[in-house]
Amino acid sequence: MKTTAALSALLMILGGGLARAEDSTPALQKYTQAELDASPYLKSVITREGTMADTSKFKKSGPYKIALAAQGPTNSWAALFDQEARYHVDQLGKDKVSELLYASADGNADKQVPEVEDLLSQNPDALILVPMGRAALAASVDRAATQGVPVVLCASGVDGDSYVTEIGTNLYDLGARAANWLSDQLNGSGTILVMDGIPGVDTAEIAKSGAAAVWKSKPGIKILDEQYGQWSTSEAKKIAEQWIAKYGKSIQGIWSDGGQMSQGIVEAFQEAKLPVPPLASADYSNGLLRQVKDGNINFSAGQYPNAMVILCIDTALKILNGESVPRFIDFRSVMEKTQDVRTSNIDTFFNPKWSDDVFPPIFLPDSKMVELKYMTK
Amino acid sequence: MSSVGQNSLPARLLSWSPRSTIRRYGVYCSLAVLLLIALAVRPEVYRPESLFLILRSASQLGMVALGQTLVMLVAGLDLSVTGLLVLTSVVIAQIGAGQDSRILPGLLISLAFGALIGLGNGLLITKRNVPPFVATLGMLVLIRGAQSAYTQGIPSGQVPNGLKVLNQSLGPLPVSFVIWVAFTMLLAFVLYATPFGRRIYAIGSNREAARLSGIAVDRYVVGVYVTCSLLVVGSGIILSGYVGYVDRYLGRGFDLDSIAAAVVGGVAFSGGRGNLVAAMAGVLLVQFLSSLLLAIGMDVQTQLIVKGLVVIGSVALYSLAERRS
Repeated sequence: MKTTAALSALLMILGGGLARAEDSTPALQKYTQAELDASPYLKSVITREGTMADTSKFKKSGPYKIALAAQGPTNSWAALFDQEARYHVDQLGKDKVSELLYASADGNADKQVPEVEDLLSQNPDALILVPMGRAALAASVDRAATQGVPVVLCASGVDGDSYVTEIGTNLYDLGARAANWLSDQLNGSGTILVMDGIPGVDTAEIAKSGAAAVWKSKPGIKILDEQYGQWSTSEAKKIAEQWIAKYGKSIQGIWSDGGQMSQGIVEAFQEAKLPVPPLASADYSNGLLRQVKDGNINFSAGQYPNAMVILCIDTALKILNGESVPRFIDFRSVMEKTQDVRTSNIDTFFNPKWSDDVFPPIFLPDSKMVELKYMTK
Repeated sequence: MSSVGQNSLPARLLSWSPRSTIRRYGVYCSLAVLLLIALAVRPEVYRPESLFLILRSASQLGMVALGQTLVMLVAGLDLSVTGLLVLTSVVIAQIGAGQDSRILPGLLISLAFGALIGLGNGLLITKRNVPPFVATLGMLVLIRGAQSAYTQGIPSGQVPNGLKVLNQSLGPLPVSFVIWVAFTMLLAFVLYATPFGRRIYAIGSNREAARLSGIAVDRYVVGVYVTCSLLVVGSGIILSGYVGYVDRYLGRGFDLDSIAAAVVGGVAFSGGRGNLVAAMAGVLLVQFLSSLLLAIGMDVQTQLIVKGLVVIGSVALYSLAERRS
C-alpha cells in the first residue's frame, strides 16, 4: 500500500511535464521590462525560478524529522492542507520521515513566530513554513538558517533571502491569465466588473496587479466598477446585487479574485434571474464548480491547491538528500491536475460527493475523505 | 436620559435650541441630507430594486445594531457578535443538513447557543467585573476556537433552502426588513413604556445609584447581554438564508458597523443616553451611505475614509451639543 502510494506521488511529480503539455492555457506571458520594474514580486519570482539552490551542505542520511509550521485548520483550504500532509508522511513511511513535528498558527502571524521558535528548539532536519506574514516571519526564517535548518516556504513567501526555496505559483500570472481569458471571451471588447480580494493583502494585490496590466493593454475592455469583496461570499453577493441593480444587462464579464466571492456573484445573478456572464475566477471551491455545472456558466479558474504540501514535503526530502532545487517552484510545472479549470474540463475537478467547501484537486483517497466527513458515501 | 420622553410636546417646543435639536434629531436630519444628496448625484439608488437591496442589507446589520444599542445603553459593548454570526451559520448548516424539516431544531439550538454566550458575557462583566471590551473579545476568541476545533475547518452540512424566504419580498419590502422593524418596535415599546426600559437607562446613567435605589443591576445587565446575543443569532439566521453557504467571513465588520450605527444615532459609549429608534436610523444612514458610495464607484479606501469621517463627525457633534447644554 505504502509503495503504491509513494509511486503515485512520484508519478504525480513526474507527470507534471505531461500536465503542462496538456494545459490549454496560453504560455506564460512575455513580460515587458516596464512590468518587471513595476512589480518587485514578479521580478523576484522570474529570477528565482531560474536559479538553483546548492543544498549539498544540508545532505544527511535519513530518516528525517520534518517540522511543519502550518496555518492551522482555520478554514477548509488549510484543514485539508494538514490532512494531505499527514497522509503523505504516513505513506512515505517511518524509514523516510521518522517524525512530523506540527504547529498550528491559527492563521495568526503573532502566534506563528513563537511556534516556529518552539519547533526549531526540537532540532528538526528541515522546516516547512506556511508564512502567515511576509515581514513577521522573516526573522524566524533567518534563525532557522543560522541553526542550519533548511527552510521550504510553502504556499506563501517571506521577506529576506535565507530560505532554500519557495513553493507556490506566480500570482501575478494567475491574475493575468484570468484577465486574458475574460478578454478572449469578449473578443477584446466589452464592459466588465472586477472584484478584488482584501485590500493590502499580498496575494490579493499581486493577482490584482497582474490583471491590471492586462486591462491596460486591452483598450476595448472597459471596467464599469472595481471593488474589494473581502474574500467573503456574503460581501461579494451584496456588491454584485448592487452592480446588477446599477448596470443590469450591460455587464458582459466578471473577474473575481477568489472562489468564495465567485459563489456570491453567481448567486446574485441567479436570484436576479439574469444569465451569468463569462466569469474568470482566481481559484474555486467544489461548491462553485457545482454552481457552474448546474448553471452551465462560461467559466475559468486558476488553482491554488492545498495538495501542494505534498510537493513541499518531497522538496524538503530532496534538499536533505543534497539535490539542488530551484529557488522558486511553481506547482503548475510539476503537479498534475493543476491546469486552469474551464467549463469544458470541469468533470476532471468536480466531485458531487465532496462538501461544497472542499478546494480541489485533492489527492487523498475517497475512504479518507469519507472518514474526515468531507465526502458522502 | 435626555432622550426618554420626559417633556410634553409644548414644553419641548418652548425649550427649542439648535443643540437640543442636534441631540434629538441629528441623525434624522443627516439621513434626510444624505437622501437629498443621493437624489442629486445618483438618483438610480431610488429605483425599487436598489431600495430593496439597501433595506435588506440594513435589516441584516440592524438586528445586530439593536442588540449593540441595548448593551451600549448599559455602558457595555459586545465584540463577540461576528463570532456568534458565523457560529449560527455553522449550527444551521450542521443541524439543518439542507432539509427544511430540520430548520426548527437548527433555530432552537442556535438560539440556545446565543443565550449561553450572552449569559457568559453578562456573568463575566457583572460577577467577575471584567471590562465589557475584554470579556466580549475573549468570548469572540473562545467561540472561534471552539468552532474551529469542532468543525476541523470544514463545516459539514448545508443551509436549508427554506431559510431563503427570509430574504425574499413581502409586498415591496424584504421579509427581513419587516422582521427588523417589528423587533425595533417591540424593543422600543419595552424601553420607553415599561419600568424595565427606565431601569436600563438608570443603570446606564449611574450604575451605583441604580443599585442603591434597589434595582437588581446585575440581573438587568445579564438580561441585556442575553437579549443582544439572541438578536445576533436572529441576524445570523437571516444571513445564513441570504448566503446559502457557511461563509467564514459572514457578517465581517458587523461588530464595528453596529457600534458605528449606534453612535451615529446618538447612543453614548458612557451609557444611559441614546434612542433605539434613532440608532436604527443610524443603521439606515450607514447602509445608505455604503450603497451610495458604491453606486458612485468610489474605491474602498475612500469609502472607509468617508465612513470614518461620518462616525467621527457624529461623535464630535453630539459631544459638542452635550457639553454646551
